[in-house]
Amino acid sequence: MTLLLKADRVTKKFGGLTAVNRVDFEIEKGMIAGLIGPNGAGKTTFFNNITGLYTPTEGQIYFDGQVITGLKPHLIQKRGISRTFQNIRLFGQLSALENVLVGEHVRLHGSILEAFFRPPRVMAEEKMARERALDVLDFVGLGRKIADQAARNLPYGSQRRLEIARALASDPKLLLLDEPTAGMNPQEKRELTDLVRHVRDNMGVTVLLIEHDMKVVMGISDRVTVLDHGEKIAEGLPQVVQKNPQVIEAYLGTGAAAEGA
Amino acid sequence: MMKKILARGELIAVVLTAFLALILGGWQIMLIAALAGMLIGLSAEHKANYLPRAAGVAAFVGLILIAITHFHNTSLSTLPGMEHIPDQAKTVGTYLIALGVIIGLAVLTAWIHNLADERKRQVYFIGLMVALAVFFPFFEQCPGLSWTNFKFVDMAAGCSEQSNLLWIGPVIVMFIYALQAIGLNIVAGFAGLLDLGYVAFFAIGAYTMGLLRSQQLGSQMGDPDFFRWSFWIVIWIAAATAAFFGLVFGAPTLRLRGDYLAIVTLGFGEIVPIVVKNLYAVRIFEPISLFIGQLFGQKSSDLMQFCLLGCGAKPLDITAGTKGISPIYPPDFFGYTFTVGEYVPWYFLALTLLVVSAFFIYRLRASRIGRAWVSMREDELAANAMGVDLIRTKLTAFVLGAMFSGFAGAFYASYTTLITPDSFDFSISVIILAQVILGGSGNIAGVMLGSSIIMLIDRVLLDKLKMVINGVLQGLVFKGIDNQALAVFWTSLTDATAYKILLFGLILVVMMKVRPQGILPEQTAARRRAA
Repeated sequence: MTLLLKADRVTKKFGGLTAVNRVDFEIEKGMIAGLIGPNGAGKTTFFNNITGLYTPTEGQIYFDGQVITGLKPHLIQKRGISRTFQNIRLFGQLSALENVLVGEHVRLHGSILEAFFRPPRVMAEEKMARERALDVLDFVGLGRKIADQAARNLPYGSQRRLEIARALASDPKLLLLDEPTAGMNPQEKRELTDLVRHVRDNMGVTVLLIEHDMKVVMGISDRVTVLDHGEKIAEGLPQVVQKNPQVIEAYLGTGAAAEGA
Repeated sequence: MMKKILARGELIAVVLTAFLALILGGWQIMLIAALAGMLIGLSAEHKANYLPRAAGVAAFVGLILIAITHFHNTSLSTLPGMEHIPDQAKTVGTYLIALGVIIGLAVLTAWIHNLADERKRQVYFIGLMVALAVFFPFFEQCPGLSWTNFKFVDMAAGCSEQSNLLWIGPVIVMFIYALQAIGLNIVAGFAGLLDLGYVAFFAIGAYTMGLLRSQQLGSQMGDPDFFRWSFWIVIWIAAATAAFFGLVFGAPTLRLRGDYLAIVTLGFGEIVPIVVKNLYAVRIFEPISLFIGQLFGQKSSDLMQFCLLGCGAKPLDITAGTKGISPIYPPDFFGYTFTVGEYVPWYFLALTLLVVSAFFIYRLRASRIGRAWVSMREDELAANAMGVDLIRTKLTAFVLGAMFSGFAGAFYASYTTLITPDSFDFSISVIILAQVILGGSGNIAGVMLGSSIIMLIDRVLLDKLKMVINGVLQGLVFKGIDNQALAVFWTSLTDATAYKILLFGLILVVMMKVRPQGILPEQTAARRRAA
């Protein structure tokens, strides 16, 4: 297996607070990796470091063999890392289709003058982009019927899916999902888990997801990394990590860890 | 519950018609009829018999219109200061044509409005608007229109009655503002960047036109006609200059967000007219000799400095300061020279500029660039994470917005033939922003509507309202009173034009409360009706 993403002792400090502390992290191509940890463990901060919203205070991040540390978010997206957000951040006023089309932004090339004169090349490109966007909507299970609805009018579950569709539209190599099942009922969670697996299997996209729900993470991940207080405390197969006393302690407190042991 | 007899839109049409007819009267009956007809058509709901119903309502409103107009033409217009109605306006033929216009337009608009096909509806509606716009100047130019004398263009003969040219001048100015409003809509409406100094680019466009098509610079170079380049080239240079300054202003400032950006742009809007005001005596020396000389302790008066600019006996007068640049040559078009006061060619030039620009902006919005703009407005961070280059995307919006303002400025300079720094006041930025917000930020058609409403209130309605109120006061109320001071007091108190800014403020406040998204809000890609 080839290495896709490698974080080398990534540290992020906000003033005196160390949100992420010397985290080493690796993902291989084609895997679904889980990142878990209690609230405030630094999971989302770690995500933001990878996607360029933050620049790591120390450490390097390699993607596909190249350093991406400190690049602007849109450049990182261009290299093939796409993400969703913990609190859904769709373009509410735009239609579902247009949301996905924005996701395709980096793949399209029409200039200002071409936008006006619409030469055949740009028209063809635009048509293909539309087709592709509709396909992606189908792929995530939203269907084409909602294409023209404003994103903010969609139900919550569909918004989650639309965000994934938007992230997939750029044809990324790595998809980062920030708590994709937050606020869903068990049935919806199962469906979304299936979707994530579907994405990996059929689009060949490597997935890294942050998740709170242990059941979801354990069921889907090939490997799980646990963060606590900004530090990596455990890593490995889900079944193994689950039994790690440090992890249990982080999640449930010292007493529970003692009981379990 | 009581069944409503008139729909809300129809009720508005009645009130608006009555109000406009009372104030304007005379020849404006045709325009009011057209306006009311369209309003009635737009409020026609899709159900059985909607066309006959629209016709019926239109006929009803038409009769009100005729009655009030007749009252205006025969009674009101005899009051002092209001004797401006030509005889033809009072003929039965005119009234019948107006009735035809209102019914015809109501039915046509109702039909278009209720077409099932979204795309067809849009195209037909735009077609109707363009047709009306093309038709409009002939209507107004010719007071010779009557039942027996049905002709549209006769500019040589009976069509020179200046008193009837109430609308065309203001409408040309309206087009200039609408052009700016759709330009600002790119910046503020699409990209969500609050630009309070938009007038800066209007000024830059206007002054580029002024400098390259007047004797201002040429006369100081010994050849007065040196700068008399073709209008059709200079208007592009003006737009490019404005766009260039958009880049210069935008590049360092667009990293700022929200309020901070607003304040910086506000500064640019103020700086440009001030710079223009002060560029009337320019003499520039190269600074290197002075610098080296001072290093060696020499007095600056002893130094030989090379003069770079404005080296003659008098320094270079670039902008003529507060006096302004005048006259600016009007455009030529295949041997025809545009003339001040001959409105129709100007009208069509402005209309073309506006329609082409609107079309351009519409296509931009539909492209990947337009999507990037709106995504940035909706959620900057998410847009960035989806691969939208924020700085670049903001800059394109800013530069393109500046470009359209530059076009507008260039046209404005040619049209008025005189530009002074005072014509590029902060209030223009505010009025254009108000037009964008009133009409519906992000929607090109809405923004143009907002622009027309505000400009027509500004340039036509308030003036006429003042005239009518004044006429009524002078002719009826003060007839018996001999107190001059009281009359003057009342006249100035009821001067509608003095309440302009108050009125605009009120409109904005009410809009924010009642319909913050604007009269015609931005629509998502397709708001298909359940057909």
